[in-house]
Amino acid sequence: MKKRVLNFVLILGLVAVLGFWIFSNIQNEFLSLAKTQQLRLVSAIVDAFPDALTEQDARGPKARTDILEWLEKSVKNGGGKAAFVLGVPMPGESFEAIGDGSLIEIFAPQSPFSSESIKGFDNVAYDETYRSAKDLKLGNTYYALFFAPVAQNGEVIGALVAALDISEENSFINLLILMFCLAFAILALVTWQVSFSRDVITGFAVLTLFIIAAVFVAYPLLESLRLSFYQDGVWTLDIWKTILTSRGYRSALSGSIELGVWTATCSTILGFVFAFVCSRTNIPCKGFITAMGTLPVISPPFSLTLSIILLFGNNGLFTRMGLMPFSIYGLPGLVLAQTIGMFPVAFLTLSGVLAAIDSTFEDAALNLSATRMKVFSSITLPLALPGFLSAWLLVFTISLADFANPLILAGNFRVLSLESYMEVTGMNRLGHGAALSMVLLVPTLTAFLVQRFWIARKSYVTVTGKPSGRITDLTTRPVKIVLVGVIALTIIFLISLYGTIIAGCFVKNWGIDYTFSLDNIFEAVTRGKDALFDTLALSLAATPIAGVLAMVSALLFVRKTFYGKRLLEILMMTPFALPGTLVGISYVLAFSKAPLILVGTAAIIVVNYTIRELPVGIEGGMAALRQIDPSIEEAATDLGADSAVVFRTIVLPLVRPAFLSGLSYTFVRSMTAVSAVIFLISARWYHLTILIYNFSENLRFGLASVLSTVLIIIVFGVFGLMRLLVRRNDNLTKTIGA
Amino acid sequence: MHSKSKSVRLVNVTKAFKDPQSGQPVTAVDDVSFEIAPGDLVTLLGPSGCGKTTVLRMLSGFETPTSGQILIGDSDVTEVPPNKRDTAMVFQSYGLFPHMNVFENVAYGLKLRDMPKDAIDEKVTRFLAMVGLDKLSKRPPSRLSGGQQQRVALVRSMIVEPSVLLLDEPLSNLDALLREQMRVEIRRLQKSLSITAMYVTHDRVEAMSLSDQIIVMNAGKIAQIGTPSEIYRDPINSFVAGFVGKVAFFPCAVREFVKGVDELSTWEMKACRVEIKGKTFDIPRWSPNLKPSDSAVVMCRPESLSLGEPGAGIEDGIVSANVYLGNSVESWVKRQDPSQSDILVQIDNPDVKKIWKEGESVSLTFEPSLAKVLAA
Repeated sequence: MKKRVLNFVLILGLVAVLGFWIFSNIQNEFLSLAKTQQLRLVSAIVDAFPDALTEQDARGPKARTDILEWLEKSVKNGGGKAAFVLGVPMPGESFEAIGDGSLIEIFAPQSPFSSESIKGFDNVAYDETYRSAKDLKLGNTYYALFFAPVAQNGEVIGALVAALDISEENSFINLLILMFCLAFAILALVTWQVSFSRDVITGFAVLTLFIIAAVFVAYPLLESLRLSFYQDGVWTLDIWKTILTSRGYRSALSGSIELGVWTATCSTILGFVFAFVCSRTNIPCKGFITAMGTLPVISPPFSLTLSIILLFGNNGLFTRMGLMPFSIYGLPGLVLAQTIGMFPVAFLTLSGVLAAIDSTFEDAALNLSATRMKVFSSITLPLALPGFLSAWLLVFTISLADFANPLILAGNFRVLSLESYMEVTGMNRLGHGAALSMVLLVPTLTAFLVQRFWIARKSYVTVTGKPSGRITDLTTRPVKIVLVGVIALTIIFLISLYGTIIAGCFVKNWGIDYTFSLDNIFEAVTRGKDALFDTLALSLAATPIAGVLAMVSALLFVRKTFYGKRLLEILMMTPFALPGTLVGISYVLAFSKAPLILVGTAAIIVVNYTIRELPVGIEGGMAALRQIDPSIEEAATDLGADSAVVFRTIVLPLVRPAFLSGLSYTFVRSMTAVSAVIFLISARWYHLTILIYNFSENLRFGLASVLSTVLIIIVFGVFGLMRLLVRRNDNLTKTIGA
Repeated sequence: MHSKSKSVRLVNVTKAFKDPQSGQPVTAVDDVSFEIAPGDLVTLLGPSGCGKTTVLRMLSGFETPTSGQILIGDSDVTEVPPNKRDTAMVFQSYGLFPHMNVFENVAYGLKLRDMPKDAIDEKVTRFLAMVGLDKLSKRPPSRLSGGQQQRVALVRSMIVEPSVLLLDEPLSNLDALLREQMRVEIRRLQKSLSITAMYVTHDRVEAMSLSDQIIVMNAGKIAQIGTPSEIYRDPINSFVAGFVGKVAFFPCAVREFVKGVDELSTWEMKACRVEIKGKTFDIPRWSPNLKPSDSAVVMCRPESLSLGEPGAGIEDGIVSANVYLGNSVESWVKRQDPSQSDILVQIDNPDVKKIWKEGESVSLTFEPSLAKVLAA
């Protein structure tokens, strides 16, 4: 142990000395280069001294204006200051100076620069240019101070005192110092890992994840929090005051909550009908119902909204037929669009809960001669209640963070996610936008925490591992007819929505001219091709990164112990609870300035996809890993495999289903991202969903339909492929732990 | 045949964990030292939670000792990670790789050692044949029986020819008959390859039948180290006595230490004279820390006890149950003190002996030469 500490300190010391040597070399080189430049500038100024002025002449009023003009012209573009001293003053001698007042002040005997100016004038007397050893600070700017002789006919007639702005030089040096410190810190950490940890690879993995989490999760969030307290570079509470008190913002908050409550309630009811019918009745076609009930969750944003507009919008099919008693824009349309898009979430949550409630409870109640209604109200419902609450909260959260639907359908209805977008893009008030989306975080986080810590504890559901083969049909015939009716209507509505999008591709001008045409398809292909390839490329880049990162993190969280594990887990999972708009704004704020200027590049979009979709992949990986007997991995380690080999040969093959679904999830979510990516796109890197939005904003519904259809085909195709791949692995998942 | 077999040494090894709830440190292994001779099979025996698995995991490298040293051969491996350590472990749940077939499972360790493919093929086939699994090499582990899975796990560990083979309750998931077979199998393989081995179990029969040496552990500490017969005949305290076999204790008073003749061996030695209910007995084995006039207990195994007419023995009781086992009858005798559990008396060759019926009053007698005096 002692030897290791010694080694560590030795290596670190060596690195520090070497680093400092390199650093000071670079710094000197740079400074001397900069000094040469500055001297050249100074001599150029001196050369430009108005000709034919002797010292005597210079004291005249005519010469004074000439000199002032010369001084002004010479340093103006450099951002510096200049003064001209007549004659070469001896120490203690009073003298006359022309030029910038703040510069002249420093010649005063009480000024800290008096000794420098004595040295300066001394040099000037010998016809030498002098750069002061100290830098001059005026206001917030640093200047390099030069004393240069101005000679006329070989005789020094005065001194040019020039202060050249060196903030850029300083900031370069600062950056250099920062980079060296960073490099040193990284090196120190790496050496630490290598010399002290038994499992070096795990150590590096943890280190990498910590850096990723710090740079791409913590830093942007803190940055946007910080900027919500800054206005015009000054610390202030104004932004928060405005946001919390102004009527407009408050109505956006209440609008968000109103919308969330409606959507969550409708979705939970609809989701429960689907879940109940699928798990507690014996009607046929359950597979089809399940498929239709989950389809909207993977549909690209805008696609269902788009067809709602095509049907019920201002020029919609039904509106034109006079069948719309109210405008679809605003709350009703939003609730409709969100419910259709989000009820699958409730459906999936609730069917999980219902499937886990052992049907024998119900059988027992029936056996004790309870009526079916009584069984439902006294057994099934109370047992499913925690599931209801978590489904409701989940949909509520998603609805609040939803950005795509309000973007198209909100009309005059105000919601927070949209409002923060407007602040940023419309008014360029990034601080306001950040603060607004942070307000959105409050209900989201509350819902998330309630779900995690309260409902999870209340849950009665226990997985017995004993599948009950037979389900007791709890419904009477009329009830069943009503339930099936609701489901049938929903499914017909869904199919007609998808149908509308496809129909929209082949119609000349929806709402006005319904003649068949392929023009839209050709135009959409030419105009959307670049965006499509961009989106595909970016998503394909993010997918493997997110997939591998998720599995590595899951492995670390489930199997390893290390300091800061809890913190890392929280950081990595945070993006799940963050509204996309907040993530987008934070990224813009954090990565549009040094040291990490990423805005406008493809990297920021890829990073954004990766970070946002990681939590789901990690959850999936963790769930899969918990099913695997740890001794399988230990056996591999014991036989001589290091962490990386265990990961590649044992973990990855075993969690393949989770890995694959993580991959396809990331890909699909990246392809269909809107809320964060809308802030991050650039002219070079565009996104298909944003293009769809632009087309529908400009009422080019035909083009939007074509691109939506393309997106739907890609997304459904990837999901189908994934299911095919996973199914082939079914026998594997069952035997894990053999 | 196996030239690599090495000794194993633990020197003052202590392992403390942090309790996940309270955050308090819990000492799982407390200052344990022992040595295993090359080629020996040593069993760690103890109740669950006594730290025996932790000792094994420290030997394999999955846990690092809080203090102390672990040596394999002459090299200190205390800080060496498991993948760099020349040990191979057979896990309680086998840890077979479910996505590989039998052959791939067994070949895994060899592949990591960059052995050429031909050599791997040859060696895996040879080892699988040794345990009769050569016909099943293409099967996934999930399509093997429990005993076959166990064999795969065993062969997978042995094929890399480790210096030390570690077995963590490897037979606990098998049924009784299979367990007996596998015991023999493990012993045969271990001896034929002469691998140093450490075996962890809480099953005393397993420990007795397999081991060269047994280490009995209790509450993180070593209670006793010895050969199976030493542990059984000459336990160091009442915990070891009770843990390695059925036993009865009779309170007694130590009178003096006398010269006597051991019936089993012939050399002269001292005996411990004790008094039980007015009767004195000379017992050839006793705990060394006993002094005259101490109160102590006499430890008797079931086979050294016999039954007689009430009043004839050291204690009276009532037969509560008789269990007929063919080669013996186990009679359970209810003691007069109801707080003490029933005593088991083993009567061999029951067909030619008198069996007392359930409910009859009897008295207990014991064979002093097989007993031991232990501190109360």
